[in-house]
Amino acid sequence: MSASLEKLLQNPRVWRGRNQVQQKTGLASGYPELDRHLPGRGWPTGALTEILTEQYGIGELRLLMPALVRLGAEDAQSNYGEPGWIAWIAPPFQPYPPALMQCGIDLSRMLIVRPRDAGEILWSTEQALSSGTCAAVLFWTETLDDKAGRRLQLAAEKGHSWAVAFRPMAARRQPSAAALRLELHAGNEGTHVHILKSRGGRPTILKKLF
Amino acid sequence: MPRAWKSPVTAREAAPTPAAQQQALPFLEPAPLVKPLALAPTRVQRLWFCIWLPGLPLEAARSTEAATAVIEEQQGIQRVLLTDQQARAAGVTPGQSANAALALLPTLQLEERSPLREQQALEALAGWLEHFSSFVCIADRDVLLLEIAGSLRLFGGLPELRKKISTGLRQHGFDASLAIAPTPLGATWLARAGRRACIRDEQNLKRVLRELPLDCLQWPEGICSSLMAMGVTTIGDCLRLPREGFVRRFGAEPMIALDRALGHLPDPRNSWRAPERFCADHEMVQEQSDRERLLNICHELLLSLEQFLLTRQLGTQRLSFSFFHLKGSATELRLGCARADRCAERWLELLRIRFDQLVLPEPVIAIRLRSGMTQALQAESARLNFYGCDDRLTRRYSIVELAERLIARIGEQSVHSLCMVAEHRPHYAWRPQSLLSDWASSTLSEIRRNIRRPLWMLPEPALLPADSGYPLHQGDPLRLLDGPERLETGWWDEHGISRDYYTAVNPAGIRLWIFRNRSQPSCWYLHGYFG
Repeated sequence: MSASLEKLLQNPRVWRGRNQVQQKTGLASGYPELDRHLPGRGWPTGALTEILTEQYGIGELRLLMPALVRLGAEDAQSNYGEPGWIAWIAPPFQPYPPALMQCGIDLSRMLIVRPRDAGEILWSTEQALSSGTCAAVLFWTETLDDKAGRRLQLAAEKGHSWAVAFRPMAARRQPSAAALRLELHAGNEGTHVHILKSRGGRPTILKKLF
Repeated sequence: MPRAWKSPVTAREAAPTPAAQQQALPFLEPAPLVKPLALAPTRVQRLWFCIWLPGLPLEAARSTEAATAVIEEQQGIQRVLLTDQQARAAGVTPGQSANAALALLPTLQLEERSPLREQQALEALAGWLEHFSSFVCIADRDVLLLEIAGSLRLFGGLPELRKKISTGLRQHGFDASLAIAPTPLGATWLARAGRRACIRDEQNLKRVLRELPLDCLQWPEGICSSLMAMGVTTIGDCLRLPREGFVRRFGAEPMIALDRALGHLPDPRNSWRAPERFCADHEMVQEQSDRERLLNICHELLLSLEQFLLTRQLGTQRLSFSFFHLKGSATELRLGCARADRCAERWLELLRIRFDQLVLPEPVIAIRLRSGMTQALQAESARLNFYGCDDRLTRRYSIVELAERLIARIGEQSVHSLCMVAEHRPHYAWRPQSLLSDWASSTLSEIRRNIRRPLWMLPEPALLPADSGYPLHQGDPLRLLDGPERLETGWWDEHGISRDYYTAVNPAGIRLWIFRNRSQPSCWYLHGYFG
């Protein structure tokens, strides 16, 4: 690399989006095709991921399960046998323990929180993210404005936690601070995943991912 | 070889010079601190610290800075019992009637004497004095006794200890007369006589006690007046009287008291024990609705709780605050904490979260703080950090702390963990696990792999509409993929089931877990989503 180019890259006004994000490896999702399209070859941990669905129950949990299982196992190795917790904040239904266990999730590290209103959902999520105790925080909310999204993004960075927001499809047109935005569509032959926004990556449509 | 562990020495080292020998000698002598006397059995020397609170009725009743006098009914008339400095300056003296006192000083605050409040003040003081001695005794309604022989070294000697107690008393707003003597009664009499005496051995005690006047003994009025009439005015005079005659005339009690005071007879005392649960009130002069100020009062209460728990090496998991109103019932606020704790700051943090949401229907006149069951506090060891400051390891707080914060705001029912139960009925195959209780749960670690269960479960099965016996979901017919799986009985309780479960898929591709009861084959229910 020439000296002048090096100098140019030193300039703080130059933003090197793609390269910078790729340095950080993501959390393998368990779906090789999805990993290929994500900048860090996996889910971006320490950041906010947003998943939009028309209705809950169409496969959004199956999409996350392999990563959640891996999160527990990897953490256990790197963290002296102390894997992080997985917080579920305001889930629309009851996460069913026998099924979670079948997937390989450690039940003793589940934290279920059922706040009463939207404000409490955001508050609990921020608490869980910034505590540094939760490896992943899944939360379900209708309202997530730009400011709140940014706050949660910061909290996720601070706590090295993977924040996953589940939101209805109506939120599609709102701007979002999330590092990754996905849209899930159930289909007869399989679930389609649209990557709407990916920091350091590019939007794509993955047909029949699973 | 018994001395094999000794390292071999070279010849030069082995033969020390005479000078070196002399230097080495002092190390061979027994340490001067260990005196043989200390090892020999000796009579246990006790030392009693007496605190007499002559102004207790006033100090316990006083709530404002204004001139105050305590009144008591004597022979049907309200008479002034004690006055403070300001009232005294205005000419109010003990023994005056309440009306006379008010005429002298119209702004005078008159307080009825309250033995209950005096007792509470005395107990609070006794609780505080437990810092200094393990033996605190409430000897009379205005006398506290401490056994301090065992505390002297810890607190750096008698003068230091005495200074600490007297400054502490002043800070608590009590004006006390202190005395130290080898017998409890001797110390009490000396304190009552207002002698700031500090006597450590019994010989001196006898000499000093002899000079005390009779009125500090608090003997019955009849005995005192008879003695005075005989020209006996001091304890020394009493001791000079023949013992038999004295006992015959005044009974055995006074003689026993004299013997106890001089140390001739043992004088056993009961040690006062503070209650194991904390309960403290804060009463306000005026109703208060400023939340910040209320929170400050709560903080003060929490600090005294911390002090209470600290002296006992205890912690508590639960607290409850009661906010009393003039009208209506009190507003209650309960706090829970995962680990037994005593740290006021942590409790305050939890309180702040809850207090924001607390609705106080009316201004508050008093606050009460009660602790739940206390338990011995367990110290925790921290992990050594050999690996530098890895960000991932520096957790801000643990899961229990996170759970406490969430519970403080959202409530205990809404924050939980999960736990499996050995049950075949889907509803009972799990239960929520409280994060505040102990972790000893018998969760199932194995599960059959070949059964299919949905990731999402509905809280209650929902009835699906049906079209000629076939289930519909969102208006579309469902296609059955898998099933039936028959789950049956629960004869041991009231909630037996008899169901056939199927996996179904709707045209949009959503997979559902549905069932029908065997008794009603046409009614389909949705029980979960495979998510």
